[in-house]
Amino acid sequence: MINSSNGMMSASSSSSAAGAGGNAPSPGLKTYFKAPEGRYKLHYEKGHPSGLMHYVQGKTATQATVAIVKDKPSPPTPLSQPSSGFSASSGVKSAAAKLLGGSNGSRTFGFVGGNGGSKNLSGSSKLGPFSSNSTNSNLALNFDGKGTYLIFNMGDGLFISDLNSQDKEPMKAIYFNNVYPVCHAFDQDAKDGHDLLIGLSTGDVYSVSLGQQLQDSGKKLVGAQHYNKDGSVNNSRCTCISWVPGGDGAFVVAHADGNMYVYEKSKEGAGDSSFPAIKDPTQFSIAHARHSKSNPITRWHTCQGSINGIAFSSDGTHLATVGRDGYLRVFDYPKEELICGGKSYYGALLCCAWSADGKYILAGGEDDLVQIWSMDDKKVVAWGEGHNSWVSGVAFDSSWSPPDTENSEQIVYRFGSVGQDTQLLLWDLQMEEIVVPQRRPPGGSPTFSSGSQTAQWDNATPLGTLQSAPSMRDIPKISPLVIHRVHTEPLSGLIFTEESILTVCREGHTKVWMRPGTPASQGSSNSETPLSTSLKDKPLLSSIK
Amino acid sequence: MLLFVSQDAHEFLIFLLNELVDILEKEVQAAKDDTESSSLPPERTTNGSKVTQADDIHKEPLVTWVHKKFQGILTNETRCLRCETVTARDEIFLDLSLDIEQNSSITSCLKNFSSIETLNADDKFFCDKCCSLQEAQKRMKIKKPPQILVIQLKRFNYIEQLGRNKKLSYRVAFPLELKLIDYVEEADAVYSLFAVVVHMGSGSSHGHYVSLIKSHHHWLFFDDENVEMIDESAVQTFFGSAQEYSSNTDHGYILFYERDVTNNHD
Repeated sequence: MINSSNGMMSASSSSSAAGAGGNAPSPGLKTYFKAPEGRYKLHYEKGHPSGLMHYVQGKTATQATVAIVKDKPSPPTPLSQPSSGFSASSGVKSAAAKLLGGSNGSRTFGFVGGNGGSKNLSGSSKLGPFSSNSTNSNLALNFDGKGTYLIFNMGDGLFISDLNSQDKEPMKAIYFNNVYPVCHAFDQDAKDGHDLLIGLSTGDVYSVSLGQQLQDSGKKLVGAQHYNKDGSVNNSRCTCISWVPGGDGAFVVAHADGNMYVYEKSKEGAGDSSFPAIKDPTQFSIAHARHSKSNPITRWHTCQGSINGIAFSSDGTHLATVGRDGYLRVFDYPKEELICGGKSYYGALLCCAWSADGKYILAGGEDDLVQIWSMDDKKVVAWGEGHNSWVSGVAFDSSWSPPDTENSEQIVYRFGSVGQDTQLLLWDLQMEEIVVPQRRPPGGSPTFSSGSQTAQWDNATPLGTLQSAPSMRDIPKISPLVIHRVHTEPLSGLIFTEESILTVCREGHTKVWMRPGTPASQGSSNSETPLSTSLKDKPLLSSIK
Repeated sequence: MLLFVSQDAHEFLIFLLNELVDILEKEVQAAKDDTESSSLPPERTTNGSKVTQADDIHKEPLVTWVHKKFQGILTNETRCLRCETVTARDEIFLDLSLDIEQNSSITSCLKNFSSIETLNADDKFFCDKCCSLQEAQKRMKIKKPPQILVIQLKRFNYIEQLGRNKKLSYRVAFPLELKLIDYVEEADAVYSLFAVVVHMGSGSSHGHYVSLIKSHHHWLFFDDENVEMIDESAVQTFFGSAQEYSSNTDHGYILFYERDVTNNHD
């Protein structure tokens, strides 16, 4: 049964997060956890609207994106003004107004033509979706463009929450009527209005302006540019979508059939591209569109089976993919070349992420391991062991810095992982401490050497070679610093922000864990005392100050 | 099913395998009697060296295709905490029954199966060297993984407070690919999932069985006389329920993994 009505955090309550331990569906969930640097505290929770039908559960796993909307040079005008006032992007048209009228029309938000302009709702009727139990429509009307938003999908809905508000229910819901939005991406540096990408279960892709959605009071996507309409280029499910960093409006969509497509949103999109048939499905191949005016512009056939995750290095030069076949692949994105990659221990890989400096990639999957791939060594340098089920989300914490960096030469990375075991794990990666078990004849006594020595042997690997699965005894293991059960449902993702860690479960709930030292995390709460039975091991670090 | 009493699919599987062995043994025995009467050398399958290591087998066993396909060897290692002597005893198995936990994976269940258990208090170990009951550490290790690995998830547990069996609807993720360390071959045994017996229903004494079987690279869903093709990703819908009292009552119960002979690397 869906548990959305239990009100884990009521919208008006303070930061005490007292409810998480006491509500029926969350037995034994603690509202804080401790790391060496201090205590992370559950600040609040974000969910989907309570009325959402549970039949959609299990159809898709919720993914979440944090969208930081900065000051725009030309802030959008509030919706209460006539349509002519909207100026967030070029080409405002009011032609879509009639399409948005019907409340039950299927996919009437659909993009009408091929000329790529944004469309705005010209009518002033506010048949708000929040008429029943929410005051959130006010937020939408007062929207001034700035803010930090949480965007997440659940069933056939895409939801937007104000991350700085305590409201549990989203401020905005967009429904897609029987097709499922499954992935999304936001570009805070988008030059024109379209900053949000949405990939659907049908393979269709939309680009929209987030601000425009927030201004609109309807339940439909507005002003959307529609790509791969009705799956005309590729009708397999979208699995992952990403803007190309510094790509000037280019974005990449990965599909469940092992293909990735590159689009350019600046294109007028006069028609869908056609690509030659894939000659050898087992081999990586690139195909460029025959016509320069069409979208998508490039097809990357990467693997057989689904691509489950893609991630760009922060400079946009490298693209990592993981998939059903269990391989992590790293591409030189501008050159369109496969550089390196390797197999999981076993099973599909589900997620991947880059370190901010582009030196390491995390990948997690169905072998319950977090693998740490070194771009210097072009191989797996460590396995993180600690999850009791599949690893569904990995991320480096780019805001984290080790306690005394001045004295220490070595770089330490902090990263996190979440799994279908409902747990969040935090890890420190410190390469000097990782010891590689040396290959030895069976029965011999174990001897150890440092990782850099063994790495030299493997440097001769030719470009683009995919490595087979390592043997269990060849890869050093690291253990997590923190193991914390955060939800009752399997998790699907985690996001590090400057102030917090967000954990996302498959069924559409997100928890916001404030970092130690942030004001919210220090708010003393008596409610934690009944839960603190297992906290005997370490002294508190943060809240004693 | 026309049966008035619902039967357990795992019990049936074990019954079937044992019955097959019986039939095959009788056939060989009959053939042997025939050949002996005609004074020809006995014809039998004799590559059972692995099996004869097992202490449980006293008579010289007949190795049937059932054994070749399904039989593996477990090592029960016990280390006396006083004298540190390790006692290892091999046991053969046709399937593994795994305890399950909520929101876990087969990998995790297998890890727990092989985890170290301390024998103490009322459950001490009689050490032959110390000639007395001692505290000890015990661990089950899969020494020789079988060709076909059959895993039963212990979803039907007797609950003392209720006085009856209760079905555990726990979500247990089973990967399409799995590995076990083969201590005989000194390598990882790679397995692929090829069949799942699914129990449908919330109770332990009733319900319905369906199965998922991979055939010629396609997954088929068998429900009595209905057979349909399903997408590989649909296998995940039979993992179980992440929370109790879910409307989803279709749960993977017996998993069949086949060892991948082509993919055995060091």
